[in-house]
Amino acid sequence: MIAAFMLNVPATSGLSHLRLRKINREKTTVFIPQKILFWLFACLIFSAASHAEEPKAVIGYVMKAEGEAFVTLDGITQPAVIGLPLQVGSSLNTGTEGSMGVTLADNTVMSFGPNTEVSLDAFLYKPDQGDLKLSTRISRGTLNFISGVIAKLKPEAVEINTPTGTIGVRGTHFLVKVDS
Amino acid sequence: MRYASLRWLGLLCFATIASGCASKSYVVLLESPDGTTGAIVVQTSQGVTRIDKKHQGIALDSRSSQTFTVAQTRLDKDFSAAMSAQPILPKSYLLYFELGDTKLTADSEAKIPEVIQTIRDRGPSAVSVIGHTDTASGDVWNERLGLMRAQTIAKLLKANGLQAIELIVTSHGESNLLVKTPNETREPKNRRVEVTIR
Repeated sequence: MIAAFMLNVPATSGLSHLRLRKINREKTTVFIPQKILFWLFACLIFSAASHAEEPKAVIGYVMKAEGEAFVTLDGITQPAVIGLPLQVGSSLNTGTEGSMGVTLADNTVMSFGPNTEVSLDAFLYKPDQGDLKLSTRISRGTLNFISGVIAKLKPEAVEINTPTGTIGVRGTHFLVKVDS
Repeated sequence: MRYASLRWLGLLCFATIASGCASKSYVVLLESPDGTTGAIVVQTSQGVTRIDKKHQGIALDSRSSQTFTVAQTRLDKDFSAAMSAQPILPKSYLLYFELGDTKLTADSEAKIPEVIQTIRDRGPSAVSVIGHTDTASGDVWNERLGLMRAQTIAKLLKANGLQAIELIVTSHGESNLLVKTPNETREPKNRRVEVTIR
């Protein structure tokens, strides 16, 4: 069975295609002072640059959820279910009976008890380019944290912020409680 | 009026002192899953404190930077819900290949059923399959060979009913050596695919 697969090696490459976006330009006949024109131009370039960015990367998934547990991203709140993707900017919330566990792409594991609010503020995981960063914030509740590869490769790149202190990780397992 | 507010201030002070050793916000170090104990560095308005003993804690919201030992009963009370929501820890397998080929070594082929069983037991998982090569041959070919190796394993997993939330198949070619070697060096330990199940 295994040998059969060895013979059948696919020849396709895993490269994805670059997506191009159109930018609509409008002609205007209204007189615009040069200064304003400059800023408009600057804004156009800025927005074109930010539009050209890739869609936000998935940095991890909800792997456990119980009771009231929610994930909010860009103002949209969804119930936390197993397999729900997480991105930078995702905010994780649990209610009085809720709990949730997530696993990030670098093998960092975090889980939360009830009445907890945590946000995923930064995540970079490109070991071959040395781009490594993990920054989360717990504003209330309880957090169980087991560090992953980022903390192993670059400990100073991992930080957990609380309203009254910052925790730097030197590769380990710890618990945080923040009383609101 | 002034006395009344002083009394309140006194009460407040007492309450703060009384709750000092049972700080409301704190961080505590545990033993790591591999049995070792790491360290954390905690920065508060009181300065920077390094904690490197298990069950050693420090308040995040008090005027003291004294560390304290957190009893198991208190850990259970505060963190049992968070702890029981902990996902199963990620697990990685290294599968090795014959020279310049997508054929698994006999030892690694024998390991495949265990990998498949692990994935089945865990239920929906995010799986990454990363192919690697040694430094024999050119890096362009090795990038490709690494991908072919990864695809071989991914195909094998799919054929065995892999239910993945996410399946990432990629190659690091010869750029991520397990055993550092000069170029054009045959090294069996570098000819591998890493399967991570999280």
